[in-house]
Amino acid sequence: MLSPITRREWLLRTSCGFGALALSGLAASAASPPNPLAPRKPHHPARAKRVIFLFMQGGVSHVDSFDYKPRLAKDDGKMLSFEDARVLANSGMRASTHRVMKPLWKFAQHGKCGRWASDLFPEINKHVDDLCFIHSLHTEGVAHGPATLFLHCGSTTFIRPSMGSWVLYGLGTENQNLPGFVSIAPSAGNGGPRNYGNAFLPAVYQGTALGKAGGPVSEATIRNLTGPLSAASQQARIELLREIHAEQLKRSPGDAELEAVASSYELAWRMQNNAPDVLDLARENKETLALYGINEKRTDAFGRQCLMARRLCEAGVRFIQVTYGDSSANPAWDQHSNLPKHGDHALAVDRPIAGLLTDLKRRGLLEDTIVWWGGEFGRTPYAEKNGTGRDHNPGGFTVWLAGGGFKPGYAHGATDDFGALAVTDKVHMHDLHASILALLGLDHEKLTFRYSGRDFRLTDVHGRVVKQLFA
Amino acid sequence: MSDRHGLSILCLVSLLVPGLEPAPLQAAEPTTAQVDFFEKKIRPILVEQCYRCHSEAAARNKKLKGGLLLDAREGLKAGGDSGPALVPGNPEASLLIKTLRYENDVKMPPKGKLPDAVIADFAAWVKMGAPDPRGGTVVKKQVGLSFAEGRQFWSYRPVSNPTIPAVAARDWPVNDLDRFILAALEAKRLQPSADADRPTLARRLYYDLLGMPPTPAEVDAFVQDRDPAAYEKLVDRLLASPAFGERWGRHWLDIARFAESVTLRGFIFQESWRYRDYVIDCFNRDVPFDRFVKEQLAGDLLPAATPEERQRQIVATAFLVMGNTNLEEQDKKQLRMDVVDEMLDVISKGFLAQTVTCARCHDHKFDPIPTRDYYALAGILRNARAMEHANVSRWIEVPLPLDPVREAEVKKHEAKVAALQAKIKAARSLAGKGKPTQRVLAVKDLPGIVVDDAQAKKVGEWMNSVFSGSYIGTGYAHDKNEGKGQKTITFQPELTATGRYEVRLAYSPGGNRANAVPVTVFSAEGEKTIQVDMTTPPPLDGRFLSLGEFRFERTGQSFVLISNEGTRGHVTADAVVFLPVEREGRPQTPASKPKPSSAAKKQPEGELKALEEELKRLQKAGPHRPVAMSVLEEKTIEDARIHIRGLVGNQGEVVPRGFLQVACYGTIPHVPPNQSGRKELAEWIASRDNPLTARVIVNRTWHWLFGDGLVRTVDNFGTTGERPSNPELLDHLATRFMQDGWSMKKLIRAIVLSRTYRQSSMVASRSPLLRVDPENRLFGRTNRRRLEAECLRDTILCVSGKLNLERGGRSYPATLTADYGYRHTDLRRSVYLPVFRNALPELFEVFDFADPSMVVGRRNSSTVAPQALYLLNNSFPIEQARFAAERLLGEKLLDDQTRLTRAYRLCLGRTPTAGEQAVAERFLKRNRDPKEAWAALFQMLFASADFRHVN
Repeated sequence: MLSPITRREWLLRTSCGFGALALSGLAASAASPPNPLAPRKPHHPARAKRVIFLFMQGGVSHVDSFDYKPRLAKDDGKMLSFEDARVLANSGMRASTHRVMKPLWKFAQHGKCGRWASDLFPEINKHVDDLCFIHSLHTEGVAHGPATLFLHCGSTTFIRPSMGSWVLYGLGTENQNLPGFVSIAPSAGNGGPRNYGNAFLPAVYQGTALGKAGGPVSEATIRNLTGPLSAASQQARIELLREIHAEQLKRSPGDAELEAVASSYELAWRMQNNAPDVLDLARENKETLALYGINEKRTDAFGRQCLMARRLCEAGVRFIQVTYGDSSANPAWDQHSNLPKHGDHALAVDRPIAGLLTDLKRRGLLEDTIVWWGGEFGRTPYAEKNGTGRDHNPGGFTVWLAGGGFKPGYAHGATDDFGALAVTDKVHMHDLHASILALLGLDHEKLTFRYSGRDFRLTDVHGRVVKQLFA
Repeated sequence: MSDRHGLSILCLVSLLVPGLEPAPLQAAEPTTAQVDFFEKKIRPILVEQCYRCHSEAAARNKKLKGGLLLDAREGLKAGGDSGPALVPGNPEASLLIKTLRYENDVKMPPKGKLPDAVIADFAAWVKMGAPDPRGGTVVKKQVGLSFAEGRQFWSYRPVSNPTIPAVAARDWPVNDLDRFILAALEAKRLQPSADADRPTLARRLYYDLLGMPPTPAEVDAFVQDRDPAAYEKLVDRLLASPAFGERWGRHWLDIARFAESVTLRGFIFQESWRYRDYVIDCFNRDVPFDRFVKEQLAGDLLPAATPEERQRQIVATAFLVMGNTNLEEQDKKQLRMDVVDEMLDVISKGFLAQTVTCARCHDHKFDPIPTRDYYALAGILRNARAMEHANVSRWIEVPLPLDPVREAEVKKHEAKVAALQAKIKAARSLAGKGKPTQRVLAVKDLPGIVVDDAQAKKVGEWMNSVFSGSYIGTGYAHDKNEGKGQKTITFQPELTATGRYEVRLAYSPGGNRANAVPVTVFSAEGEKTIQVDMTTPPPLDGRFLSLGEFRFERTGQSFVLISNEGTRGHVTADAVVFLPVEREGRPQTPASKPKPSSAAKKQPEGELKALEEELKRLQKAGPHRPVAMSVLEEKTIEDARIHIRGLVGNQGEVVPRGFLQVACYGTIPHVPPNQSGRKELAEWIASRDNPLTARVIVNRTWHWLFGDGLVRTVDNFGTTGERPSNPELLDHLATRFMQDGWSMKKLIRAIVLSRTYRQSSMVASRSPLLRVDPENRLFGRTNRRRLEAECLRDTILCVSGKLNLERGGRSYPATLTADYGYRHTDLRRSVYLPVFRNALPELFEVFDFADPSMVVGRRNSSTVAPQALYLLNNSFPIEQARFAAERLLGEKLLDDQTRLTRAYRLCLGRTPTAGEQAVAERFLKRNRDPKEAWAALFQMLFASADFRHVN
């Protein structure tokens, strides 16, 4: 009997994908290749099983939303000295003069915890008792491209795997019929595919894009899930392929690689039959649709994306990103001028996000799902170039987290009196990454991959777990 | 040394400031009061805030940061990677104090600045001489191998010329490399596999050398050729085919991280296709590899005999600058070093299989590469300017020289353009002196998108005025020549489409106006500030000044901001107009559409317009001077400083430019002080004395032909890489390669002619080969291999008959400005599909195409469901299968059985088995429409496992 390649040899030579799981009759064999997407035991007991990251692309102004700074109203219009990140990067000058600009939205206290928040996000404000705010976040990169890559991959420049890919690599996924890392409506700009790319990790850990930023929600589906052929014609072709493969296998029996290819079609077929149901929002009742603001002009698009995120989360997808943004060089929240435009964006996301929180909570999913809201940086408390908008601020800004073991009704750290720089209990983006991984049961220092002769991690040689954030 | 230095400062302090508590000469003998101060004010803070990352315990847990120990007196004194932590007696000069005060680039503790009182305590403590009662020793830092140890390591030893081993089965080898393979097999009591049959061998050879399958007729010709040299003839014919360069050039493009756009903003590298064509051409012409190395690193600095040669050499240097760079990094010093780092990564991995960039922040932890070597190399590349820096930096394109005839033509044309431009300038100043044709213009009478000052957003008090009598809309605004630095006015249009726009500013000129008004345009290209002199009349119609052409995105930020900061005199603003620009770079409409009668009145303006039209015609007509991506030598040539921990703001000592010391043998090229050193770097790499270069490319070649290298970690010949499975063979090949004049074709020819290459991939399942050498490290059989994405696509197009064999040139519209959402519809060979980093062809993405941002010596080989979904549902395989069916049915073939044989031979390079025939017959019978049935059959053959493998 001739055998072109042994199973063991094949195992050693290839990185196999989804397909490997379904190797019929091979699963029991000791030599069968391990499925790289099978759920894996975390490093330590996990509090959360999955992540929904609501990416507010372009950078929401923290001083107009969740970081209350009375000084800004008091000193509105005054020319004061600040350490501006862009000026510092461009010229090395630590101090430059800028006009303080007061928040354009009114602040009040909300919830039992008495959290100060502006009326920019009135619906989210109703959930403050479930949210864990970090007011002292700081990050790398003054421009969108570097900062967006840093947010997703932990590096402004180098080609590194995205956080979702790391999580999938660390934990596998619970539903083999769906991709384990999904990015809904990702932006093509500011790093584009690199922000959900696997870089040097095996290809199975790559994020799957559903639709694109600014594209119609109807396009938010897995590519090639359906094709131009009729169902009958496709069924006939699949049957034919099965027979062709059976004959090819007869030529080299027990050929593991051949079987893997055959089984990748079985999985594709199962995905094709299951995934559309998961992605089909028509299965939801009217009350739920209304909860997310679906079928209302302003909130429909983001509402559908949030609802899809919940459905994917329910179906066992490990890491889901929902982007509110676009593919331009100055995405969505990037109000260098005309700050009131923040109001339009807030209107589009406020109800859908509040709806998602309500829905996750009532379904018991918030227990073990981390919801992460935030942008690549915040905005300056002063007017950019003395105009009508705010520039980027990587030195101090706010994000919030909910569920999955994050401490509800809590606010961590602080920026200075103006909201310019994080000063108290600072949390670096690396620390946030490390902390999210920690709740997922992953030790950011142990989650490594050997490439080009050394072990790489999401947090490079940095990052610390901020335990105060945990309930 | 540092001790003495510290001591002298101590003495100085105690001498000069007698009022202070005297600093102890012996740090080991602090006074009781000092110990008390330390124990109460200093030690608790160190323990609480610093020990986690700066202590022996941290070092043991591998958590030590910055190489700095703060739990031992010696640790503070010795300091970390940034140097001594303190200068006893001088808090202002002490790194520790600067860091605590957050005055340094490194700010500690990271969680937040300590209270001022605590920092004051530390300063006081340093001032008193940093008395420290603690003992403890400093842990030795982890370092890589020493040079002496390194030179014992296989890859850093000079290449040897091993004697050809004796073998038992003397009739098996056809050439020397077979003897090395056979000897290694025999040492394990193994025998090589049988030869592959001719059809299998033909298919393998065609894919390996051309990347395309043979036609059935070509297979038949080879099978029937009785000439004993039949195989040799076939090899030589394929090596001479231009398709050879397309296949092998693509291998090199994987190493060169070749791309035609950059991820950020999707900017198109308009000229990088020239580099791709250069590489293909080099392989086809068999340019010696050492020459190929030199041209890519320093082609612009090499002498050239002809303009054509000089062109090629400049184009070659695009190799240096195709990195996926973060053009909008705001810290340009950082960006400069990041670009250097990227170049160094590609050069060291690509040519030397070394992970040199590990040594950017610290000495290499495993290999004999100290940080000094990194900055010796970085110093060379730092002298090559790769970017023009701006808010969004830009890569460099240089004009290419031409042959004398064309050069003369272009020069003549350029002179004409220059003359015309001068004329226009003169006409403009003349026209500018005239008054606007129409004094008051309504917004609606102007073309383009007009934002009047009335709609602009104002900060500070702006006065509306109609005083000059010439304006757009309701007057113009001015800053009253007051509140300098406090006022801005922002013009924000509602753009309806993404595209290029010419931006024109209307202002009200006059003698009392400001002469340097900062006007900033925010566009998709970043921000650009233009200084506008408002004392002179605007050149266009006496009303507008063109701020330039910019790309704006409909949803992105697009606005013009005028500030009165730093101005003297009145700042005025009347309106800003955004004029959509046609593809060829000319506004769709003139600046204004005045009535014909009034336009003719002012003669100078009529003339100006005519001149401008002529200029545009001329510029469009050409001839154009071609440009290429390249680098420029910096004006100031200098050595680099070590960047401690890789930080741009933390500079250490200067390192003379040089090379990897561990790999320096023979005569080392001397780097002249007034040149970058790139030429010498190229010479050192392309030298026969370099232990790495020849080994690395020979091993890559073996990998590309066998699916595995003799060293399987093809990009890593360091100590963390794998060892060669047959080191003698590797050295034999490398030596022979250099003796043969670094000829790639000779190397490939020798390998494919070997008996080793011609073995079958089928092995009896009980063969000892599988038991003793399961991973086939000894090459006692041929690896069955996966076809790369390009081969899959090219084969589908060969089968459908739709492949377009056109060679070279730009393969996308020259007017393309961003790669987002690019649709690949071209039917040329895959190597010519544009490699857009945000928009790779879908087939490439799912079938493991090399990531065009990294050096990829070895591609992934995955089997995943998205591949299956692609082949089942994507319109490309479905359509091509239809074309294949049409083509098949159009041929004069006897019956379905003959057709099926042809389909199998086209797709899989073999005839169908009886079982396969039965399956197909049943399927054809079930389907009424033969075209549809054959289309289905072709598509499923494309989808089948055998289609994507070569035996």
